[in-house]
Amino acid sequence: MVLVVLFLSIFTFGLMKMAPGDPVLAILNSDEMIVTDADQAKLRSSLGFDQPIYVQYGQWMIGVMQLDLGTSYMSGKPVWNEIAERLPITLQLTAGALLVMVGISVPLGVLSARYPGKWPDQIGRIFALIGASIPSFWLGLMLIYIFAFKFQIFPSGGMGSVSQMILPSITLGFTLAAVYARLLRAGLIETLSKDYIRAGRARGVKEWRLLWLHAFRAALIPVMTVFGLSLGSLLGGAVVVEILFSWPGLGSMAVDAILSRDYPVIQGYVLLTGVLVVVLNLLVDLSYYLIDPRINQGKRESG
Amino acid sequence: MSAVMTLTKEIATEKENEKDALFRTSPVLEIKNLSISLYEDKGGEEHRLVKKLNLSIRPGEMLGLAGESGSGKSLTASAILGLLPKSLSVSEGQILIRGQDLLNLSEKEMGHLRGKEIAYIFQNYQDSFTPFIKIGRQLVEALRSHDKISKPEAKKQALLWLERVKLPAEQIFSSYPHQLSGGQLQRASLAAALMFEPVLIIADEPTTALDVLTGEKVLDLLAGLQKELNCAVLLVSHDLKHVLKRTDSMAVMYGGQIVEKGATKSLRENPRHPYTKLLLKARPILRYTALEKFAAIPGEPGLIAKEGCTFALRCPLSFEQCYMVPAMQPAGRFQWTACQAVDREKVDTNA
Repeated sequence: MVLVVLFLSIFTFGLMKMAPGDPVLAILNSDEMIVTDADQAKLRSSLGFDQPIYVQYGQWMIGVMQLDLGTSYMSGKPVWNEIAERLPITLQLTAGALLVMVGISVPLGVLSARYPGKWPDQIGRIFALIGASIPSFWLGLMLIYIFAFKFQIFPSGGMGSVSQMILPSITLGFTLAAVYARLLRAGLIETLSKDYIRAGRARGVKEWRLLWLHAFRAALIPVMTVFGLSLGSLLGGAVVVEILFSWPGLGSMAVDAILSRDYPVIQGYVLLTGVLVVVLNLLVDLSYYLIDPRINQGKRESG
Repeated sequence: MSAVMTLTKEIATEKENEKDALFRTSPVLEIKNLSISLYEDKGGEEHRLVKKLNLSIRPGEMLGLAGESGSGKSLTASAILGLLPKSLSVSEGQILIRGQDLLNLSEKEMGHLRGKEIAYIFQNYQDSFTPFIKIGRQLVEALRSHDKISKPEAKKQALLWLERVKLPAEQIFSSYPHQLSGGQLQRASLAAALMFEPVLIIADEPTTALDVLTGEKVLDLLAGLQKELNCAVLLVSHDLKHVLKRTDSMAVMYGGQIVEKGATKSLRENPRHPYTKLLLKARPILRYTALEKFAAIPGEPGLIAKEGCTFALRCPLSFEQCYMVPAMQPAGRFQWTACQAVDREKVDTNA
């Protein structure tokens, strides 16, 4: 896990250096002002750009170890502060999206599994196809057009109130919901046909208990696996949605930073996202044990 | 009110059944003319897997249902519980528990009966409990889904039953199914089955997945507890050894039909149906010298005649009459045989 993060840091740092464009020129706003070579050289050395790349990387890494991600070239504020300011906004969006995702996929998945081949299942199938094939930026635009422009029910952008949460959450959550509904359906159908469910029925345990407490739990394992893997796309999707609905979150921060070649901010963002995905995947792995205690069995008994 | 109804029904069924009453008491389970069919598509061809089956068990009786794989034993057992796979359904007949037809019950009423009145012990003990929930919680769950009792009370009862099946109760109660051995699990499922003191226990090959000694112990336990509770047991098995040793009466199935039934002793000593005869001959018996070869039943297992007697295609005695379904004819005092050849013999000797 540490290796993954280390590799990620080298990779992002290297990529930044290879990318075309010069932050010095961007900082000095060379398009609109006359910039002398002396000015450029001075700024270059103050940013450490005259050093060899490995020294630059080393300095950055030492900073990172001390939880110092450097300061933004543009705003002059520490990168940490920028991220800390914007992280709650992105988290809010992600939480909203997860809520939409769970709210749609669980009932749909359970209904399709309960009545395979019947109409809830058909609706689920169509829904999954639509959900999987609509790109989120297009869905976002359509939602803005319909609900904000035509019917004027929800505001088209900004954040703060609940009504402003709804459209972005749906945009981000919808595409994922469709996939999870199908995944849940497949898992539930499989577990519902297991002998232990039959045994539960034979003991007279009520059907809803079997469905929610016995089968659902088993069906959750594949869902959790895919969830861990799709966290990256959730955060990536957040970038698009934030721009679309003009939310000042991490995603829009990253896009601004990329456009202005604000290297410390980009590096900080990528590193943070990477660490977040790695940590959350670890949590997902740990959650398997909570869901199914057999999974840990090998480890304990071999010792 | 309903108690009176069942009582009158019971009396009625007993009167109907007078002629083949094995014991004086009225049967717990009575299966009349049961057929189970597979429908391939809607309105498609009907495929009968169990054909016009008749069977009854009385309290305290252990009835063995024997037959080779695919003869419809387990299907019959599932049908009693109302847990047939979705593609299968009961196409005719009645399944009466204390005179009440199960096939007319709603899913909800059936749910009340399952576990409480009819208990089921599965062949695959690994899967008789949900793998990631502790045994105790599952027992408590089952108890609480039938009776309105508090959790501590249910726990007390569950522990009591775990003790009755000779398990270290506290330890098993807080174990996950995968932490137990096969024998322990089968005992725990025995406890789960007997908790409600059901009137009927269906044991679907309860020992197949266990080693011989553990299997014997589980059956000993089952037999002991059956005596205490005076319930009926339907022992489904392809292991003739268990059926002959344990049961009071038995029924031999082939291809979805019962070919012979009656008191176990009578059947063992005097089998009439050619299939039963061959089956008994094919059973290994401990001797001083090893047999060169086991007697085998001719023909391919699972070869089932579509019309008439299902065994006709493999039967050494088959003749032209066998295309007709043979009727159950009494053969001796406690035995019934469905075979045209046996009938013919009788007619011949009478003549």
